[in-house]
Amino acid sequence: MGLLDVQGVGIAFGGLKAVQDFRLDLPKGALQGLIGPNGAGKTTLFNLLTGVYPPDTGTVKLGDRVLNGLKPHQIAQAGLARTFQNIRLFGDLTVLDNVKIACWSRGWTTTLDALLRTPRFRAEENAITTRSMELLQIFELDKRADESARFLPYGGQRRLEMARALALDPKVLLLDEPAAGMNPQEKVALRNLIRDVRDRFGLTVLLIEHDMGLVMEICERITVLDHGVVIASGTPIEIQKNPAVIEAYLGASPVADASPGAH
Amino acid sequence: MTKLLQASMDGVAVGSLYALIALGYTMVYGILKFINFAHSDVFMLGAWFSFAICGFLGYTTADHPVYAALVALIGSMAMCGALGFTIERLAYRPLRGAPRINVLITAIGVSLLLENVGQLNSNKFLAEYGIKFPFGTRPTSVPLLLPDQPLLSFALDSAHPNTLVNVLPVDVLVIGVAFTLMALLQYLVFGTSLGRAMRAVSYDAKTASLMGIDVDRVVSITFVIGSALAAAAGFLYGQKLQSLRQSADGLWVLLGLKAFVAAVVGGVGNVRGAMAGGLMIGLVEQFGAAYLSTNLRDLYVFSLLIVVLLFKPEGLLGKAVVEKV
Amino acid sequence: MSLASYGKPASPAVVAVDALGPFAGVAVLVLLMHFVIGPAVGPYYAKILVDIAISIVLAVSLNVVNGFTGQFSIGHAAFMAVGGYTAAAITYFGTVKIWGGLPLVHADPQGWGLFVVGTVAGALVAGLFGLFVGLPSLRLRGDYLALVTLGFGEIVRVLLMQTGSIPDPKVIAEAPLYTLPLKLGGSLGFGGVPTYTNLFWAWLWAGLTLVIVYRLKASTHGRAFLSVREDEIAAEAMGIPTTSVKVRAFVLSAALAGIAGALFAHELGTTLNPKELGFQKSFEVVIMVVLGGMGSLSGAVLAAAVLTVLPEVLREFSEYRMIVYALILILVMLVRPQGLFGIHEVWELPVVRRLLGGRGPK
Repeated sequence: MGLLDVQGVGIAFGGLKAVQDFRLDLPKGALQGLIGPNGAGKTTLFNLLTGVYPPDTGTVKLGDRVLNGLKPHQIAQAGLARTFQNIRLFGDLTVLDNVKIACWSRGWTTTLDALLRTPRFRAEENAITTRSMELLQIFELDKRADESARFLPYGGQRRLEMARALALDPKVLLLDEPAAGMNPQEKVALRNLIRDVRDRFGLTVLLIEHDMGLVMEICERITVLDHGVVIASGTPIEIQKNPAVIEAYLGASPVADASPGAH
Repeated sequence: MTKLLQASMDGVAVGSLYALIALGYTMVYGILKFINFAHSDVFMLGAWFSFAICGFLGYTTADHPVYAALVALIGSMAMCGALGFTIERLAYRPLRGAPRINVLITAIGVSLLLENVGQLNSNKFLAEYGIKFPFGTRPTSVPLLLPDQPLLSFALDSAHPNTLVNVLPVDVLVIGVAFTLMALLQYLVFGTSLGRAMRAVSYDAKTASLMGIDVDRVVSITFVIGSALAAAAGFLYGQKLQSLRQSADGLWVLLGLKAFVAAVVGGVGNVRGAMAGGLMIGLVEQFGAAYLSTNLRDLYVFSLLIVVLLFKPEGLLGKAVVEKV
Repeated sequence: MSLASYGKPASPAVVAVDALGPFAGVAVLVLLMHFVIGPAVGPYYAKILVDIAISIVLAVSLNVVNGFTGQFSIGHAAFMAVGGYTAAAITYFGTVKIWGGLPLVHADPQGWGLFVVGTVAGALVAGLFGLFVGLPSLRLRGDYLALVTLGFGEIVRVLLMQTGSIPDPKVIAEAPLYTLPLKLGGSLGFGGVPTYTNLFWAWLWAGLTLVIVYRLKASTHGRAFLSVREDEIAAEAMGIPTTSVKVRAFVLSAALAGIAGALFAHELGTTLNPKELGFQKSFEVVIMVVLGGMGSLSGAVLAAAVLTVLPEVLREFSEYRMIVYALILILVMLVRPQGLFGIHEVWELPVVRRLLGGRGPK
């Protein structure tokens, strides 16, 4: 059994079954891709895993811990961190503060410590700042630490989202289209960055991405969603050859709706 | 039994006033998604405009033409419609697309402005230049434009004179005008192409504009209609109570607020919900006043609001909205 | 802690100064106000200075909810009323119960202890009400929450109007304690509250409020507050329990408003009256916060001071006061919607930074 174990998760909005019977078993250290056409339910799946929407069916387990029924912040603290497709930074706050906020749940001081500025508080603040700056260095944002996050360029904002998620000290990192809006050089850098970060922090990564080059190159396994259903799963080469996947993307076949489950 | 009948009738009369005001709130909320705090002040000005019209045309309780009520009603509706149009144009339109909290603060600003401009009556400086506001801090009595003999008067128990139930013409006027206007609005929103445009803008303003709907125009019309309905409520309120008071401790704001409570209880953005909510608030208030304590009537309304918001925040007829992540 | 000092171990002296310095600063300010400035400027200006201090407490406390967490509360005066009535009940009834006889109109040294107890109790009770109002915020956002706070404010006002008149001292002395909270003067207001509030107490509480709220803002806990304002969903995803953060903000904000209420209740020349503490008052505080910048403490202090002094300066035009306020509010929203300083403090603004010789913005 893997680190992140997802069994039969599904949700319906009104009559629309956005995700059905999703299964995934991510071993520790995996770098898995999740692809599918627009509206396939990829982001909805992330929302189900992170507790933004409670799933109608199925269970999500992280290690031995069942995440169903937990609030999003509890799931984040349990070790499942994410980034957002439509960047959700704390725009008015500084780049550094964005990362520091994610350190909150690992803090050990009380509000009273903060009000009296006790040595404990100073020690914690020092530790958090040091750690946050280290993370910013990895993502090459340390030079801009005291700027407002909203003034970062697009690629920088995407990287800051990742740095912020890492500050949670997660076991599993969910990346929602980290390369969206990046230029080719930035994408190359990102590719290396994701691998580095995975190795350095012993992370398990699940990645939604539309840039097939990136996905095929860095992911060890790929799962394909279409209309909320898994239509294929396997190594990048298997996926590239899979007729159901080609059909889902190109819509070539006249019987596209009756997609057979080619698990 | 007498109490029950009387409370029901007062409840329906007051409730239909709330419903009229609530419609303005709910229509604006439906389209622009913010509480137009200034709406209660438009309601107040509606009452004052009708009063000013009576003064200007020389209508008094004793001496007025048969059509006086109609003139005052339509006159104040027209004036408030123009006012609503102006407010939207000057204060709200420049903020289209700004964070909701900014629009809300602006609305509070507009409300404070109208409320306090209305109190400038005693101002000597302006009076020297011959400018007189029809408003003021002193209560003003409104000429009753209808006969004050009961239309219908019956005793439930002929042996006891205190079981007498009176139906006054003014009650008929209030309920009649309110329901007529609500029926017209219902037709407008659900039976005309303008109404379809309004519903489309409310559902998704961006898409509606791509479909060729002039969103700004629809918003303006919404403000005009909402303000005119509030003016009608103001006129009816004056006729029912015959005393208008403009005070800082907020009789008007309070009434307007209760009307918004009505809109929320019914489901904000929902035209039928506003009507149902208005009647409900009116009945709760009047029954509470009749059977529990008159002094605590505001308490019942706000308690109802908090209960509804906690257990069914989308309102009784509203639809829950899921935020997109 | 500023970025410049990160990583470097600080000497014990620096640690001590950083921890205790602001409190010493408050002490100096309070003593200056009480012994030097107060006597120098005379009673009229002293009263204005007291008013400014109370406004500062109000504006800074509302900033915790409206500025930091981005929730929109417009019922702040109700918390002020709760704190004020609680404190007044303790000092007034307490004096009669303990020393027999009515409280002296002017500050009575032996009553100061009671005044402190009353102020703290006022803060606690107001904080409890804050919890009560904060709970709906778990489910509501934006304008709905605003409406609930407004409704709550009205409920408090209506209930206070319904209380009975203040009994005679003899009756108070014999009445069981639990009957007294029902006799708070009703619509006429709570008359005869001893006037303990002076420059010393007002600026002491204002100073403490500033230190507390500023330190909160500059800590992990305060950053959690700010994250809720910036993006609630992202905050949750970063492990911040947004609901409990919001409730905490409400409790703290209400408790501080309770202190302001206690100061207001015991001030010379004010009557504790439900009418004075309606939504008009709440709006005034909202204007201070919005004008100064939501989230900026120095902005709130500045706005509180200006908007307290302005009516005194423009006494002749008092009728236009609210009209001017309303226009300011609308204009600020149209021209500079983030308020004067936005979320920043005065010394963080680019212009000021450049003046101080620090780094400008990039």
